[in-house]
Amino acid sequence: MQNGHLDQLDATDARTVVLERAVLATNDALAAVNRQWFADRRIVALNLVSSPGSGKTTLLERTIRDLGADLPMVVIEGDQATENDSARIRAAGARALQVNTGTGCHLEAGIIGRALDVLAPQADSLVIIENVGNLVCPALFDLGERAKVAILSVTEGDDKPAKYPYMFAVADLLVINKIDLLPYVDFDVKRCIANARAVRPGLEAIAVSAKTGENMDAWYSWIRRSRVG
Amino acid sequence: MLAKRIARGHTDLHEISVALSLLDGVRKAALEQGVERVNAVHVRVGALSGIARDALLFSWDVATADSVAQGSELRIEEIPLVVFCEHCAGERAPLPGSGLLCPECGHASPRIVHGREMQLVAMEVPA
Ligand SMILES: Nc1nc2c(ncn2[C@@H]2O[C@H](COP(=O)(O)OP(=O)(O)OP(=O)(O)O)[C@@H](O)[C@H]2O)c(=O)[nH]1
Ligand SMILES: [Mg+2]
Ligand SMILES: [Zn+2]
Repeated sequence: MQNGHLDQLDATDARTVVLERAVLATNDALAAVNRQWFADRRIVALNLVSSPGSGKTTLLERTIRDLGADLPMVVIEGDQATENDSARIRAAGARALQVNTGTGCHLEAGIIGRALDVLAPQADSLVIIENVGNLVCPALFDLGERAKVAILSVTEGDDKPAKYPYMFAVADLLVINKIDLLPYVDFDVKRCIANARAVRPGLEAIAVSAKTGENMDAWYSWIRRSRVG
Repeated sequence: MLAKRIARGHTDLHEISVALSLLDGVRKAALEQGVERVNAVHVRVGALSGIARDALLFSWDVATADSVAQGSELRIEEIPLVVFCEHCAGERAPLPGSGLLCPECGHASPRIVHGREMQLVAMEVPA
């Protein structure tokens, strides 16, 4: 009775298998597949990351209304519970797919691959992924995007980049949103950008109001440049 | 403590998906090795990976139920953040909460040497 069972639990009876591989190796491999898929079709994919409520969907609604006629866009929505965001995107005039995030806090490359099969975006278009509102794990999961766009609204505090250094360290663009609210909050745009550049030197930053449309042209030129680059 | 963090919205338990990815790697390795049981799994987790130790341990127990790694011990090796400061030319460990600032000279040191790790290091299986 003791043998068999107890022997297996005996440490001297164990051997160590060295693995040394990335925990997210599977995700990374699927992200590489997506990246190639985009490249083959000259599609630019953007991964929008932020805290909940920074204004990602509002930014997209305005972007679709302003650019949609010239630039075909589809949106993958990673919102957790509701279909609200994809309904808003469709109302703004773009195709959208709401995807289930599984464990809920971020999107993974495999989910994006399946979404692309469904959405079948055309060549030379723009695919925008609205990640789940969260500044921690979306930084870890590569989706195969061209660029990660970190969105920060002025109601969140200009020290956010210092609190979530990893997210800002992997961002390719910082969009500071809700600047129409600057008169009412204690938020220093310059300090925020400096905080972000402390973790990502040279990080490009654009301050906009997705609500009033102020300075949205800077965001549109960045999109156009990202399609060339 | 975990329940409290979830309630406060501080985590959506992304450690669950990390645990599932880990298990994925362990399953594959177990198949390759032809083993039916895994006693322990060793992972290396950097300070910047945003992984909470307790949450990962909890998630591991949940994720491995009814798997080859059921009941296995997860050994988490935490790797502190180390940056290379170009200003004072050396590897430095930033103080907690100070982002990537050099603790010696205060300059931003975004060259991360350690802290991004998330590796499946090894597993222990019955001989
Ligand atoms: N004042 C102001 N409000 C804004 C702006 N952009 C968005 N909002 C408001 O902020 C709230 C959240 O906006 P959403 O666009 O839903 O934000 P989100 O990031 O998509 O939110 P989640 O998907 O839930 O994470 C809404 O009430 C918007 O009307 C802005 O530029 N200025
Ligand atoms: Mg939204
Ligand atoms: Zn220094």
